[in-house]
Amino acid sequence: MYMDLIKMLEEERVMVEEGGLCKTGIEELDIQLGGGIPTGNTVLTVGSSGSGKTTLCMQFLVNGAKMGERGVFFTITEPLFKLTKNMEGFDFYDKKLIESGMVNLIDLRIISERLGLDTEKYTVEDASALLDILRDIADELNVKRLVIDSITALCYRLQTPEMIRDFIFKLGSSLAAMKCTTLLTSEVPPRVFQYSQYGIEEFISDGIMFLSDVERKGDLIRTFQLVKMRGANHSRIKSAMSISSKNGVELAPLLKSSE
Amino acid sequence: MANVLIDGLKERISNAIKMNQSIGILLPINNYSELIQALFERIHSDSEDAWVYVTVTKPYENLVRQFPYIATDKNIKIIDCISRAAGISKPATNCVFIESPSMLEKLGLEIINLFKEVDPEVNKYLIMDSLSNLIIYNDPDLVTEFFYQMINKTRAKDIHIISLALEEEGMDRHINRLVYLNDKILKVRDSFI
Repeated sequence: MYMDLIKMLEEERVMVEEGGLCKTGIEELDIQLGGGIPTGNTVLTVGSSGSGKTTLCMQFLVNGAKMGERGVFFTITEPLFKLTKNMEGFDFYDKKLIESGMVNLIDLRIISERLGLDTEKYTVEDASALLDILRDIADELNVKRLVIDSITALCYRLQTPEMIRDFIFKLGSSLAAMKCTTLLTSEVPPRVFQYSQYGIEEFISDGIMFLSDVERKGDLIRTFQLVKMRGANHSRIKSAMSISSKNGVELAPLLKSSE
Repeated sequence: MANVLIDGLKERISNAIKMNQSIGILLPINNYSELIQALFERIHSDSEDAWVYVTVTKPYENLVRQFPYIATDKNIKIIDCISRAAGISKPATNCVFIESPSMLEKLGLEIINLFKEVDPEVNKYLIMDSLSNLIIYNDPDLVTEFFYQMINKTRAKDIHIISLALEEEGMDRHINRLVYLNDKILKVRDSFI
């Protein structure tokens, strides 16, 4: 009991000393966030296929691990071997962080299988069991950063809009109870200004990062915009986003004449 | 005669860049080769300074063929904006390739990233070859905005810019607007260097 109290106070001290901000480690993004994501926030990372959601989230986890914060990446969209193969092409990715357990990669479909759930269709009970497992893993690993890739694919396995709504609100409560900073990826169609497939995901989120693109002379320029971030005095400018093997995700002001 | 022209150009550029943060060189198209030679000779002879050369005019391979030391000189890095768009995809250690000259934000990021690797005490120079060719691939307003941002960014990081603009018919209005963003303008004339 006494030890728990000391631990809690220590955590609070660290939070206060560091301004309670979770640095993404992506220089321009942290500047736009006013230092980082407020610790404990749940942030919806919205974008169409190929917009850079997974890379951004992985860089957030890896950079956190390099700063001593353990993280977990729950995937339901692609097998782990594919995910790691893609990430190995980036200089920021360090295999040792996976081996040491500072970054944990977990395939939710495998978890579902082990729980004896139908991996393609979830009932209310299945979804609830999955949420419990998710929370237990995060607690056991004592993670400070969590990613779910993607909430859209997770909800897709639920049968009715009511189930989806119920699941999202339960997920929101579970995430709020955890002390970690969470990125949820949300898939939307290209060039559509919407934050989620089901229209509810944004309501459980403290922040929204919107990834899109603009066309210029036939070329697609990736864009990034911080739409919302509770507890942060953040920028709302639209940036051009670059993804390179050397530097991962980088942001630069988008030239306005292009819009 | 060519050597006299090149020496004259080298001297004018050296003097101007010492005194100004940014210089624009406005030149007729038939003086382009001499100017490029003068610039590369200036870079090659000065291994103490760090140079980033952005080419929107000639592919990297072409430049190396003409000036082989570009591939090995440690003080120069090339950013090639046209090879990838032209389907040339040979990798090179001394060169960063941009997928398309329309990706101006990416170009800006790569310029700054290359200078981040340079010792802060070293003199830093950026050459844009050329603003007129950037206009071929982009809307002139966009290039103006990009160049204005670049001038401000490089000023903040104490990087000198030398930007080239070729005098071409029908483009005078755009070129003039761009070139006049520089602190100093050098006009190269056929008859008088």
